[in-house]
Amino acid sequence: MKSFTNANVTAFEEAVTLSRETRRNGRSPVFSGGGSDLLGLVKERITSPDVLVNLRGVEGQDRVKDVSEGVRIGGLITLDALSREVSIRKEFPVLAQAASTVATPQIRNVGTLAGNLCQRPWCWYFRNGFHCYKAGGNQCFSPTGENQFHALFGGGPSYIVHPSDTAPALVALDSSIGIVGPEGGREVRVADFFTLPQENPIRENVLTPDEVVASVTIPKPAIGSRSVYYKVMDREAWTHAIVSVAVVAQFEGEVCRRARIVLGGVAPTPWRVPEAEAVLLDQPLTQALAAEAAEQAVAGARPLSKNGYKVALTRAAVEQTLAMMSDRDQAD
Amino acid sequence: MKDKSKPEREELGVSRRGFLQGTGGLVAAAAVAPARMTVAGVEEKPAPVPNTGIRVTVNGVVHKVDVDDRWTLVELLRDHLELTGTKIGCDRGECGACTVLMDGRPVYSCSQLAVWVDGRTITTVEGLEQDGQLSPVQQAFVDGNGPQCGFCTSGQIMSATALLAQNKTPTPQEIREGMTGNLCRCSNYNAIVESVMIAAGTAPVSTVQETRLSPIMPLTTVGPETPRIDAVERVTGKAAYTGDVRVPGMLYGRVLRSPHPHARIRSIDVSRAEAMSGVKAVITHEQASVVWGAGSVSGGRQYNDKIKEITKHRRLLFDNPVKFVGAPVAAVAAVDRHIAEEAIQRIDVEYEPLPFVLEPEEALAPGAPKVWPEGNLSPDVENRFEPMTTRRGDTEEGLRQADRVFEERYSTAFVHDAQMERRACLAFWEGEKLTLYTPTQGISNCRHDTARDLRIPEDQVRIVCQYMGGGFGNKNQNQDTDLIAAILARNADTPVVVELSRNEDWLGMHGRWPTVQDYKIGVKHDGTVTAIELRGHSGMGGYRKNSGGINGVELYESPHFRQVFPVYTNRTVSGNFRAPTYPQGFFGIQSMMDDVAYRLGIDPVDFIRKNARRPGPDIEFTNYTLDECLTEGARQFQWDNRWRSVPGSDTGPIKRGAGVSFMLFRSGVGRSSAILRVDSNGRYTVFVGVTDVGGGAKTAMGMIAAEALGVPLSQVEVISGDTDRCPYSVGESGARTTVMTGTAVVEAARDLRRQIAEQGLPSGSDVLIASTTPDPNTGSKTRNCFGAHFVEVETDMAQGHVRITKYVAVHESGRLINRQTARDQIRGAVIQGIGQALHEDLLYDSRNGQPLTAGFYGARHMTHLDAPVIETTFIETDDGYGPFGGKYVGESGIVLAPAAVANAIFNATGLRMKSLPITREKVLGALA
Repeated sequence: MKSFTNANVTAFEEAVTLSRETRRNGRSPVFSGGGSDLLGLVKERITSPDVLVNLRGVEGQDRVKDVSEGVRIGGLITLDALSREVSIRKEFPVLAQAASTVATPQIRNVGTLAGNLCQRPWCWYFRNGFHCYKAGGNQCFSPTGENQFHALFGGGPSYIVHPSDTAPALVALDSSIGIVGPEGGREVRVADFFTLPQENPIRENVLTPDEVVASVTIPKPAIGSRSVYYKVMDREAWTHAIVSVAVVAQFEGEVCRRARIVLGGVAPTPWRVPEAEAVLLDQPLTQALAAEAAEQAVAGARPLSKNGYKVALTRAAVEQTLAMMSDRDQAD
Repeated sequence: MKDKSKPEREELGVSRRGFLQGTGGLVAAAAVAPARMTVAGVEEKPAPVPNTGIRVTVNGVVHKVDVDDRWTLVELLRDHLELTGTKIGCDRGECGACTVLMDGRPVYSCSQLAVWVDGRTITTVEGLEQDGQLSPVQQAFVDGNGPQCGFCTSGQIMSATALLAQNKTPTPQEIREGMTGNLCRCSNYNAIVESVMIAAGTAPVSTVQETRLSPIMPLTTVGPETPRIDAVERVTGKAAYTGDVRVPGMLYGRVLRSPHPHARIRSIDVSRAEAMSGVKAVITHEQASVVWGAGSVSGGRQYNDKIKEITKHRRLLFDNPVKFVGAPVAAVAAVDRHIAEEAIQRIDVEYEPLPFVLEPEEALAPGAPKVWPEGNLSPDVENRFEPMTTRRGDTEEGLRQADRVFEERYSTAFVHDAQMERRACLAFWEGEKLTLYTPTQGISNCRHDTARDLRIPEDQVRIVCQYMGGGFGNKNQNQDTDLIAAILARNADTPVVVELSRNEDWLGMHGRWPTVQDYKIGVKHDGTVTAIELRGHSGMGGYRKNSGGINGVELYESPHFRQVFPVYTNRTVSGNFRAPTYPQGFFGIQSMMDDVAYRLGIDPVDFIRKNARRPGPDIEFTNYTLDECLTEGARQFQWDNRWRSVPGSDTGPIKRGAGVSFMLFRSGVGRSSAILRVDSNGRYTVFVGVTDVGGGAKTAMGMIAAEALGVPLSQVEVISGDTDRCPYSVGESGARTTVMTGTAVVEAARDLRRQIAEQGLPSGSDVLIASTTPDPNTGSKTRNCFGAHFVEVETDMAQGHVRITKYVAVHESGRLINRQTARDQIRGAVIQGIGQALHEDLLYDSRNGQPLTAGFYGARHMTHLDAPVIETTFIETDDGYGPFGGKYVGESGIVLAPAAVANAIFNATGLRMKSLPITREKVLGALA
């Protein structure tokens, strides 16, 4: 690897200050949580930071606690801890499940929630060092090339899919993200946190330089709330989603009063499908209704030359997830 | 520079790696420490590297150490704390070999910085033993045959240790889930899970599947489940693989590789690399014009040495033009790994890109870009530019006699050997004598090849390989890495270890050739096949390292005509991988025949019985057990219940169905050597030239010797893997070691017993020695092994997902030498074959010739959760040949798997999948 300096910090504010100072000195900083994805990028020379701001020593930012707005989860919680947290499994199963499907135990033992949300794309052009938008270039190699795993929705000019599992779950949970930066702290709805390429093809989220994800806040679940995460991979484990579905719904008996359906693996951001949600409103969730909702979920799909199979797959996955939801037993 | 390629192939972008490595000019966008300009002749001092003092507890010992900030944890452990039990498989967090425990939790040590573990507690495999006793998990891995090649073993054991600390009695599924972050390329997943269950106390120690003995006399040592004689080394991290061997003062070598699929090198400027402090040698094609004989036209010595002298298509170590992305261009040796890595970035290469071609049929079309001046059909061993043609009988007549004729195309993808140990080589010279530590499957072949290539006497070359992290047929000779290391070491006058990254290993090493197979089958209404014609194309990459053959037509009694074109393409070079010509051909022809059977309304098993090659006037076998294999397999599998006479007839969105495949497979005898020695204490030593790739060859040789000598295994030591100490061996590939070298061991034992009978045991420091090089043959008889696989799959028709729900493998492999390792050779090979069937490929972008899926993640290798349980049954026989009737086992499993799986998918879904791998994408595409 190219050489860099590791700088340990014990608080987010310190991290932000250090990041800003580093930039002022003409050097490039990067925040590091679990570090797995970052080291991979550095070894491949896709990114070459001068300073790694190591957030591991930041204390108290890996807990789950009740706050007035709901439940606040420290951004530095490991995915493993998040997936095992009893209160999360009970109140927000979609999030616990999503966290448990990430990669492998070894990665979940160090990978953080914040890191998972800020993960760079796994597009094979980007990861093989092509000078594409994501690498600061001015083209995307996928639309006229190998785009089997690329976006069905929201693509252009870059067609990456967002690789995070926790992101669709958090969008479905209507969460917000707590950010700490040089201007202080701000709260952004998670649905607004991720950015489409047409806004800015180089970045995947609204973080400005020197900002770091500090926490996630989820509103307390409503009565009758059910949620589930379903992930489709092309081997049995250790893969980013080809398509994933996060559903959070509120039931009154068997009637669905509210639903949020968010797709992963099919768009540059977690992709909410309100047209599908509308189908379920105030109806008992039957298989026929689930099929109709699934149909609506893919109605806006714009497949590329080689990812058309994902349309049927997404439809099937949405239907499957809704089926899992309708016989959901919330006790874990 | 002018792009001469056709408009539709306009390069849309060369990888950044290419720019950084020397197409010149482009500065990376991210802020990078400015490169220092050097004045010619002045050595550039390196920029100071940030470092930090840390305090870390490793295996109970507190270490206070200054670490470079950029050192990974595994680097700290292996290079600075001398704990080489933790291995590096990929250095990217994609394989799990480097798993250690951090505060009791498994992590990838390659993906953690040393500075981050300040104040932490680390446990490695070296920390598991207590008072010289193996930990329960380690002992269980010994008893359960957890390690094959052993390279993933440390990581598996650490994950298992952590799992059992959390969950004392895990179910098999919980074990797979807990350990899914640890790949095993030998695919020993079944045995690893069983080993963990043994550790948990939930499985009996002996977990051998049913073995049916036909009436053969059981032997004493040969036969029973026997733990490997080097199992302890493998489970404690003490086994020294090439990368674990340290020589004081050794330099580290790295290779610069082409970023272009096809290009002429106009110039190379190494001055900036040479000027770096710590760089001791730099070589390019300008200094090192060495032919790598085994790299082209049929491989190493055991195939054909004469070709090396006459072939038109020699492969130079650093060739120009470069013919594939990843071709070696230059190499450096430096005092540490990081300097070496930086140095290759500073070699400036000016390339003139040339047109390239990626697909074999395209490559043979008129006007295709030429990989070689004569065109893209590879010459054969006599420099004839012709396809490989074989025929038996008269297929034209056969087609005339047919009631129906069927034609279809099947294709298979490139499948990388992907062994867990990345290629490396440690080279040093003592005067004129060269020693190489290298993971070769054939030390004799490697020595011979290296001597020839470097033009030095063979007795001045010593090859050592005590442990290797997987060898699936691609390593049975020398490697360009060996030659590069030798030359760097010579130039620098210092030992050099050349190391490859996982990406380099993927692109620079080899895999199973992709094929396109066009079949024409003539058949009568009653199902008798009257003619088989195959026209095949094999994609060989930039060089023809191995044959490119396609087997399968010879399985049948019918006349056949086969013509296979081995074609050059600008891709990673194809080479041998476990039964090199078989799984792809068996998939093609057995899918084809399964389809013919379907169209005639005949049960596939009946169709096989009707048409398989059988003993007859023109072929006599030493024994023939195909029918027994089919019958036993069908019975165990409940074929009649699981196979559907109407494919796709299962109701519901998830459909089940069953498929079958069969083999007659080579198991011939041949020449090899062994030396046996006895001392006055009655201790025996076997000297054999084998290397144990993971199949257990060392143990098998010991057991054969013990049986033949009539002594317990504990009195026998096996010395292998060192040309200074061991005689010739054919090389451990082609599943031949047990048979060929095993026979030599038996002969040597007979001779030694005779000597002992005549003279008694030696006295004092005397020894008795027997040395043999038998070259047996089976006369006019053909010696085969036999088998049948029965597979049930479940296919989700909405999501295109295939899951194997039952797998029965029945094999007649003669007498089993060690039924434990034999069982796991079958199970592991089958799982590899399933990976080929469902997942593995190396995808190239056709616009720019760039590989996109090199690596364990890209190729989607099978994990613990992907691997089904393989129910394995052996039908044992003794045909009087081989060591006690032993036959080939190592390759049999992989040969049958893709065909059986594909046939099962057809039966379940009614979709005939004609192209491997059968991915979800393809299944959904077929359903659309």
